[in-house]
Amino acid sequence: MRSHISINRYAHGHLVGARSTAAPLREQVEEALAGGGEMVFDFSKVEATQSFIDELVGVLILRHGPDVLARLVFKSCSDDVRAIIEFVAADRCDQYIKAHSH
Amino acid sequence: MPTPVHLPASISARTADTSILACNRLIERGGDALVDASLLRFADPFGMALLGATFHMVQAQGRAISVRGLHHAIAGYLHRMDVFRAVELIDSTPQLNDRRERSDALVELTRLHHRRQVDEAAYRLAVTLIGSIPGVDANAPPDEMTGYTAFDRLVEPIQYALGELLENALTHGRRQGFGDACVWVASQYYRKSGLIRLGVVDNGCGFLATLRNHPDLRRQDHLEAILTALRPRISCNRDLRFGMESVNQGVGLTTVARIAEHAGGRLTIVTGNAIHDTVGRSRALLGGAFWQGVAIGVVCRRDRLPGIRFSELLPPYTGARPQLRFE
Repeated sequence: MRSHISINRYAHGHLVGARSTAAPLREQVEEALAGGGEMVFDFSKVEATQSFIDELVGVLILRHGPDVLARLVFKSCSDDVRAIIEFVAADRCDQYIKAHSH
Repeated sequence: MPTPVHLPASISARTADTSILACNRLIERGGDALVDASLLRFADPFGMALLGATFHMVQAQGRAISVRGLHHAIAGYLHRMDVFRAVELIDSTPQLNDRRERSDALVELTRLHHRRQVDEAAYRLAVTLIGSIPGVDANAPPDEMTGYTAFDRLVEPIQYALGELLENALTHGRRQGFGDACVWVASQYYRKSGLIRLGVVDNGCGFLATLRNHPDLRRQDHLEAILTALRPRISCNRDLRFGMESVNQGVGLTTVARIAEHAGGRLTIVTGNAIHDTVGRSRALLGGAFWQGVAIGVVCRRDRLPGIRFSELLPPYTGARPQLRFE
């Protein structure tokens, strides 16, 4: 089963920014993922800060490990959003692997 | 009558030492506060946020503030910027029209107390600042390729920078027993120079308190704490720990510095007894000045903002890249 979240709904103007906006959204995602299936983040017509993406995606990786990425789909990302997601995911996967390699 | 505290001729990032010294005297002196502003001729957003924070802290001690000798040339400006909330002005009648007739765009001093205010405030302040710049049309049609207007391209880097700085102040600044810390923000566009200036000042615990136990902090002093905080992936809470309210990737302040740099500008950062300018000047504040919290001044060129791409601001990453699903 696929769940969808339209990120644009949480934007002020064209930007989603604060961690405090992303944190409750991530809690919704964790509840949905706990029930199985996958989550689609729709980034149509919205830009995002690195902090927002880290609170949404980076914390999911730190809590559940890199395998959680297989259940996440990033839709309609601008080049900037895509680059930020790639950076956050790579950095947090690296951190998770180092922390769990002992 | 209380002994007056004299404000210097300039309250600004450029004159941070003397500006903060005057604020220190106001905060530390007992009884009601009398401010002699007869020398004051210039205040930038950094200075206004600093004054706003200082006046708030003095008033929170139950002390009244009176300001005397304010020159009419700056009285209307500071009044318009809302610096003198609940402050008695002696022998000075602000001439509000003086300021309104000038073409520089300014946004009033704003105080934030809750993290949940950050996104809305960053957007509102950025839109107000950019929207008040002469010749910038908020209702211009969007670019057909990108869907963004020229207005959007000016607003977003400012919104991004303000959001990061405000959220940092209301999270990191509130550790170590500073749970009631606030953040003050002011901004202005200077038409003649084409510069945008932001001032973001908090009265929280400061960088050194948040980074005190960080393994990358080589010396326990305020200047080292600023330099450490500016390095990517340095944060007091990069890891998930039990009881932590949130994590941080340690990239936010670095990104704000790079926004300023890409827009032909810089950050001036003050915390404790140290000042650092991202063009490379670092030193202790002169005269024993000390700011409890963090005070940041941002300056950048308006005409360089539309060219900023957020992806270009990220720190380099050379490690393995996980498989991601984009549609």
